[in-house]
Amino acid sequence: MTTMLDSSPISVVEALRGDRSQRPLIDIASAGGLRSLLEDGIFEIIGAERLETPLAVRTSSLQQHFATTDLAMSTPGRIRGVLIGQLLRLLSVGMSIDHAFDDAVAAWRGEVGTNELIKQLDILDDDDRARLATDLEAHFVTLTRALGEIPARWMPRSCVRATQRLAGGNVVLRDVVDLMIGTSTSEVASIALFDVTTSPLGEGAERSMRYHALMQTLRTSVMPLRTCTFSSATGEIWIRDVDYGLLARSVDDVLTSVRDQWSVR
Amino acid sequence: MTLLHRRLTKSDLNDLVRGAPADPVQLTDVHRASLSTRFRAVSVPGHRRLDAWSVERAGRSGNAFRWSPGTARRVLGNASLRRMATQPASVRDAVRDELGDQMLRAASGYSRSGSLSHWLASAPHPVIGLVTAEAVNWATQLQEIAEWLEAPWAVPASDAYYDVASARTTLRARRDLVVHNDETRTVVRVRSGSPGKSAGPGLRADLTIEALADHDGLAPVRYIGLWPEAGVCLSVDGTMSDLRSGARDLVRTAVAQRRRGTLLAA
Repeated sequence: MTTMLDSSPISVVEALRGDRSQRPLIDIASAGGLRSLLEDGIFEIIGAERLETPLAVRTSSLQQHFATTDLAMSTPGRIRGVLIGQLLRLLSVGMSIDHAFDDAVAAWRGEVGTNELIKQLDILDDDDRARLATDLEAHFVTLTRALGEIPARWMPRSCVRATQRLAGGNVVLRDVVDLMIGTSTSEVASIALFDVTTSPLGEGAERSMRYHALMQTLRTSVMPLRTCTFSSATGEIWIRDVDYGLLARSVDDVLTSVRDQWSVR
Repeated sequence: MTLLHRRLTKSDLNDLVRGAPADPVQLTDVHRASLSTRFRAVSVPGHRRLDAWSVERAGRSGNAFRWSPGTARRVLGNASLRRMATQPASVRDAVRDELGDQMLRAASGYSRSGSLSHWLASAPHPVIGLVTAEAVNWATQLQEIAEWLEAPWAVPASDAYYDVASARTTLRARRDLVVHNDETRTVVRVRSGSPGKSAGPGLRADLTIEALADHDGLAPVRYIGLWPEAGVCLSVDGTMSDLRSGARDLVRTAVAQRRRGTLLAA
């Protein structure tokens, strides 16, 4: 079952979990084949050469190829993205959030101390800061309304990282999933991946969803049940059931990114 | 050397546990005395602490330690899983209980400055939320790994520590799960990121320290390092040659550290 909803359901988490009786058995056989496809494809592009600096693939590498002005990649856009990620992490453990902007900034500072983006935040003037705070509040309201409460028994974990070295370290795939629920120890597929973006959903979001599912499969050797992207800008949510076809398409996305990076070296 | 590399799957992990050597190796007082002599020969003005990380970094010092959600997650996550073994609860509730205990320790004056309790007690509410999220991640991950294991397991109360006699040196081995099989034990250690080229020496250092820290000097039959983010695991066997190699790497690290200290002083 694949669901595409124009408006958010009552609870995104409920939609992700779906009907428990309809879940397929866990697939632990596909990971090896996908890895082989990637290894073979990379060998065709790079050959046996040993690279001093590996090619890195992230979700951002899979975005649109043609040049566009993406407001989400502006400094306030990036800060907003990080802050909404922090709020999602707090929501995932049931923390009460009184002031979205202040709480998200405090959590962010507590996590990283200081970095370039935080310095950019610090030099925003009062008007820009107030605008960002209002904007974030709007995204946060959209997110909380859609997300609902996340029960602890669904084992939510946030900001889940994955790294895969391929072709002897020539290519490194990196990924961070905003929220993951379900367990890989069950007899049936139960892992659902949730990604939140502060941009409207587009083709890039589709690629990111597939990539998250591919990375999770390569990391755990267990195919996840569903992958989803939620836009806190529009309240739209895309949910896809994960199958071999979807993962194979993500392999193609990754190989395209590797080919693009290799061609400009 | 007995370094094995596998994918981190349920079957591979259980194969590694099952396939460990049957008989544990024992370190004697002679081994301990020999190690102490070598460390004494590499004297330093203050007290030194060595672990697998310092071996992997060849004695280079990293950034100064500071408490953060990332550095607090393992302590809290492991403690929460240990708590869940006696008091069934969700991971989130166990983490919250553990956090509550830590803060209570600080409030009742039982925590020293610089400790986790002390830091948590002064951390703002959103940071506590992030600490909870990180600890929940760690504990959930460790719980999944533990549930894969077919042999009885336990979360140790602390890492393994060994003070080298008269050498002002403390060795620390990370351990997250101990799998018991009859009279032998296999130790599982979880790390974030992906293993580098020096991951093997790091594991051997942990193996050696774990054996030294054991009252009877009994080495674990296998030390398994897991990198869940990369989905891989490495293991070393508790053989005498691996233990010797681990001890040599620790002494080399002490030498490298002293050399760097001398260069900085110059």
